Amino acid sequence: MIFSRRLLFRLLSVTMCALVAGSLLAVTVLADDPPPVPKGLPAVKWPADNPPTAAKISLGQQLYFDPRLSSDDTISCASCHDPAKGWSNGAAFAKGVGGAMGGRSAPTIINTAYFRQQFWDGRAKTLEDQALGPIQAGVEMNMKLEDLIPKLNKIDGYKKQFNEVFGSDATDKTIAKAIAAYERTVLSGNAPYDAYKAGNKKALSEVAERGRKVFFGKGHCSACHVGPSLTDNSYHNVGIGMDKKKPDVGRVAISKLEGDTGAFKTPGLRDVARSAPYMHNGSLKTLEDVVEHYAKGGIDNEYLDEELFKLRLTDQDKKDLIVFLKEGLASPDYPIHKAPKLPK
Amino acid sequence: MLKSHIATVLSCLALVAAFALNASAADHKVVAKGLDNPTGLAVQPGTGHVFIASHAGVLRLDPKSGKVTMEIGGYPDPTDVYGKGPKYPIGPLGLAFLDADHLVVGGGSRPDGSELVRVFKVGAEAKEQKETDAVNTLGPIKPSDDTIKGEGNFYGVAVIGGAIYITCNGDDTKGWVAKATLKDGKWGKLKLVIATKEATEVDAPGPIAASKSGKAVVVGQIGEVTVEGDSLVTIYSPRGKLLRKLTTSLNDIAGIAYSSSGKLYATDFSWVDASKGALYQLMLGKKEATEAKSKKILDLDKPTAIAFGEDGTAYIAVFGTVGDDGKPAGSVIAVSGL
Repeated sequence: MIFSRRLLFRLLSVTMCALVAGSLLAVTVLADDPPPVPKGLPAVKWPADNPPTAAKISLGQQLYFDPRLSSDDTISCASCHDPAKGWSNGAAFAKGVGGAMGGRSAPTIINTAYFRQQFWDGRAKTLEDQALGPIQAGVEMNMKLEDLIPKLNKIDGYKKQFNEVFGSDATDKTIAKAIAAYERTVLSGNAPYDAYKAGNKKALSEVAERGRKVFFGKGHCSACHVGPSLTDNSYHNVGIGMDKKKPDVGRVAISKLEGDTGAFKTPGLRDVARSAPYMHNGSLKTLEDVVEHYAKGGIDNEYLDEELFKLRLTDQDKKDLIVFLKEGLASPDYPIHKAPKLPK
Repeated sequence: MLKSHIATVLSCLALVAAFALNASAADHKVVAKGLDNPTGLAVQPGTGHVFIASHAGVLRLDPKSGKVTMEIGGYPDPTDVYGKGPKYPIGPLGLAFLDADHLVVGGGSRPDGSELVRVFKVGAEAKEQKETDAVNTLGPIKPSDDTIKGEGNFYGVAVIGGAIYITCNGDDTKGWVAKATLKDGKWGKLKLVIATKEATEVDAPGPIAASKSGKAVVVGQIGEVTVEGDSLVTIYSPRGKLLRKLTTSLNDIAGIAYSSSGKLYATDFSWVDASKGALYQLMLGKKEATEAKSKKILDLDKPTAIAFGEDGTAYIAVFGTVGDDGKPAGSVIAVSGL
């Protein structure tokens, strides 16, 4: 009896302490040093359960560029989020498997490492949550996970890498982790604006400096475009598409808050000149069009954000603002990644 | 042997319990209810009466009797509405006592650019007066190069070093704190002194309080109402230099105050997920710290302002959730033992 009591307490104490210790140890996962971050950007917060390693990022890059992740081997992540096109696709909408078209533009991948939520409507909280969405979407890569996982594990090069990186064959979770890890390295910083902020008041040209003042002043851009990636990570109805018969309701479908009707995520503006066309439906072809849209106060509707109102901008203000967007936020180290050699 | 095992188990349980500290730790009770979107609180020195800014006007609560009376009414009707869904009709917003007889009220009833800050003479006894009976009126802050729309929604009010500090929510590119000082017995112009959004790159200055030393200015930066965990606690010198900027786990910091024992407390309205509304203790840590640690004290349904009485009681204004009957669901909760 005494023995069994002792055993019971020993078991209890060991279990309790193991639980506490386990929760502490769970986050102690081996990792490489995080990849360097361009000037002007804060450190990237890597998830405790998906720390960076060079091998994982490399695997993620291969998956990102590999069209075999789609059902007919024609579409990769990079097809719609192309480094050469601002990590978007240069068109209003993205074309998926079999020419299928989605209803929203392909948002840029640049600096998504810092975004608090992913997709135009924020339906994914993390890049890991986001990564598998487009693969499975019928109008995008149209690939079922139950087909993708064995397909990847039949490719020796992938099977070997997944085992080296994650200690097992590819799974839905490890595919997502690898792609997310790679996407966290797609960063744009070190722009003239960053040098200006760091104290070099000559880093911006005279015109771009005037444009910066408009951006943070009477252009009212910084009401929403703020912080290192020039986004507040929030959702705003700026009127785009609200004049259609059946507008895209945007964020409200996720948040269920009426005020989010027609609201979409504020996009970041790093290297924005590369990612035309603009807005969630790609309806504005140029930055000039975008500036005109905001200068007139957006498109009026019941849910128009209170930050949208007619601005008093001169033609010169608009020109200066566009120069700031094009020059001031352009990085000399733009991440123009190439497709890596894909495993066989 | 048995004792040592019991001790091990108990210590482990204590550790787990410490992580799970929750609402049951704070002794609290409702001291006023049926309030219409209460947003501001101030406790009158001497009487201990609690003044409550709400959509209806400024109310006076005698915590001993529980009696609530209208103290300042006559605000514009219809008043301002905050949000596009959910929508909250608001009236006067922020409150602070200059001394036992003078109450500062930050306006929220008017459009940006025409909003006012008013000072009222209030006695030890309840006596209703109108908004226009103010002994001093500050503002409006009209549109200018510094504030495109002009300023309004004066949510937070604090009296620090004899000056009035007000958080403004007009121009969202700047996020101003305005200040007025007393000179030769007269209040000077309300001036825009701290551009909090430029300093922090986070939206919306909300609650404001004097620091523990009584000299510096503590501002809660609400952040975006649709973004989780983006609220900040910041500390500025009286001249407006940012001294500290700390991230928090709070979604929408809506009230901030130091207890008499020097602990900092904050409320989280949590617009994006009302089930996460709560009272927290915030630990700012050493000077170099950039993240405030938080400990949940009490779950609350959309709390706003917090103010401490001279006896150490904390009063917290709570919006609550309006039921099918449509009646106001706001309340004030008294919390002791903080």
